[in-house]
Amino acid sequence: MGELESKSIYIIREAYWEYKEKLAILWSMGKDSTVLVHLVRKAFFGQVPVPVIHIDTGFKFKQIYEFRGKYAKLWDLDLKIARNDTALKNGISPVNGGRFACCTQLKTAALKQAIHEHRLRALLVAIRRDEHAIRAKERYFSVRDKGFKWDYQNQPMELWTEHHKTNSERGAHFRIHPLLHWREIDIWEYIKQERLPVIELYFSRQKARYRSIGCQCCCQPVASTANTIDKIIREIRGTNIAERSGRSQDKEREYMMQKLRSLGYM
Amino acid sequence: MQNCLKIVVAGDVDAGKSTLIGRFLYDSGSLPDGAIGNIEESCRKIGNDLEFAYLLDSLEEEREKQLTIDTTQVFCRDKKGREWVFIDVPGHRELLKNMLVGSTCADAAVLVIDAQRSLTEQTKRHLQILKFLGIRRFIIVINKMDIAGYNERIFLEERKRISDFLHRIDIKPEYCIPVAAKHGDNLFANSRRMSWYKGKTLIEALIINCHKHGGRNFRMPVQDVYKLNGKDIIAGRVIAGRIKSGERVVVLPSNKEARVKQIMVFKQNVPAAGSPENIGLILDNSGGLARGMILAKPKLPDAQSRVSARIFCVHPLKINENLRFKSTTQDVAAHIGQIDTAWDSADLEARPKTDLLRELELAEVVIAAKHPVVTEKFEGLNSLGRFVLENEKREICAVGIIS
Repeated sequence: MGELESKSIYIIREAYWEYKEKLAILWSMGKDSTVLVHLVRKAFFGQVPVPVIHIDTGFKFKQIYEFRGKYAKLWDLDLKIARNDTALKNGISPVNGGRFACCTQLKTAALKQAIHEHRLRALLVAIRRDEHAIRAKERYFSVRDKGFKWDYQNQPMELWTEHHKTNSERGAHFRIHPLLHWREIDIWEYIKQERLPVIELYFSRQKARYRSIGCQCCCQPVASTANTIDKIIREIRGTNIAERSGRSQDKEREYMMQKLRSLGYM
Repeated sequence: MQNCLKIVVAGDVDAGKSTLIGRFLYDSGSLPDGAIGNIEESCRKIGNDLEFAYLLDSLEEEREKQLTIDTTQVFCRDKKGREWVFIDVPGHRELLKNMLVGSTCADAAVLVIDAQRSLTEQTKRHLQILKFLGIRRFIIVINKMDIAGYNERIFLEERKRISDFLHRIDIKPEYCIPVAAKHGDNLFANSRRMSWYKGKTLIEALIINCHKHGGRNFRMPVQDVYKLNGKDIIAGRVIAGRIKSGERVVVLPSNKEARVKQIMVFKQNVPAAGSPENIGLILDNSGGLARGMILAKPKLPDAQSRVSARIFCVHPLKINENLRFKSTTQDVAAHIGQIDTAWDSADLEARPKTDLLRELELAEVVIAAKHPVVTEKFEGLNSLGRFVLENEKREICAVGIIS
């Protein structure tokens, strides 16, 4: 656990050193980004010196909003909501326009607006290699050009702790992934060790629980009786079901994740 | 949670590296349900047989071109609960920078050789680079034994050829295993088609104990200085050794001394801390302290402006060209003052004295830094023994090891 945490905190401090107030955290209130917020608090001795952005699609579970309000206050977070109101007004939804357009409009475009509005140059994002084969190709410091494109065929070198952190292109930004090397099981063991709060949706009710949480309409629970953190840890150790098997956007079409990501999706 | 062994799987283009990892994952039982089904479907669409490499080669372009473009890492847990991280790297010469990215994370290496193509230039290159990066544990896999008719003679010839080369570059491999990765021969069970082979299977060979030793002397590169309640907090990661409250440390390269008044971790003061913790120090005298300085005790690393090193060039490099020397949090203007010898990484012949290093060359050089830099001899992967050189475009143009 020490090594995992150590590497993450080091990267978070590197990011802050390079970008200071131009840095923000993406917080979805899910287990991974909640661990990320906690690591930032640890890195800065209990404080969170940068804004925390929630990309709000308007389709999230109500428990997510409750959790957001409670911990934003308790941890004294500078919370910013990123929401694509124009697209919502036009009635976009997974059924109206399709999942690809919905994710692109309500997540990627909303994020674009927030980056522009808050003049950000870098984001801390809680993705992990073991979630998806495309995410496994990522670097810790990963540049997006001004069109939000990820040039995955020509990524800069990253050796030891020498990350490529600079890009002079106007409008470009960095995605920084301090949890890239964590696995799902590591996240849960860490939540247990650090006694972190998680949304109740992760715990089994009526023989099902969510393993990955996003928009209500695009998340399916998995069959499970795990209603405590210990039981979740035991379940993950024994399961052969993929963590994001309940997430529609990963598999609706072949390479959908790659295409979403190349346009700027997380 | 344990820190599992990280294994880079290296070798030439089409030696079957991604296939080997994919097949190993499949046989280990660590793939999620449906993973193989998805791959089968993708393969059918393109009109190919089941391709285990697709488990790693996730990009559309990688599947179309049948090659690994960028490095990737996968976790593997077998039925007995043993865990590994496999690092897949591209074999192409043009993608060597991505191979380097993957290899710098590794504790040990599996080198895959195509039994039909033998010891190629790129195989030699990968071996020299892995050795240069400090990897000491090697497992050699002679792959595609199915195409070689599971012929013992071919295996023995290949083994001889590779052993001679390894001997010349001073690598002592742990094992040399004949394998048909596509069919799983000698990965988890001894292959009946190669009953002449009495040695270990790949899984047996991968049960390796790797000791990661960081050293006893305290080393903390200053990462940043934060102001909290009017006090300077020196933030950094302890890369070796331990520190106790009340102890004295030396600040390098200035050689000033300071006493540790408080050690902070999260919201608490702690009496002591050690590697790999990220801590904050409050010192009795933190005036002038800044990122890039190194705190050390009791034995000190070197602090000097001229550094002898061995480098591997990713881009061409000229003597006296403006560069940045970067090591941990140090970032100092520097140039190459002298090139002692240089040789191509696929070759062992040194070439005559030169002022220009070519791409993919190894060289013994003297680096002249504008200010003293703090270094230590590279032993056991210590962070102050390794560095990168960046050019004016801020691209990494060489990787270096203090000799």
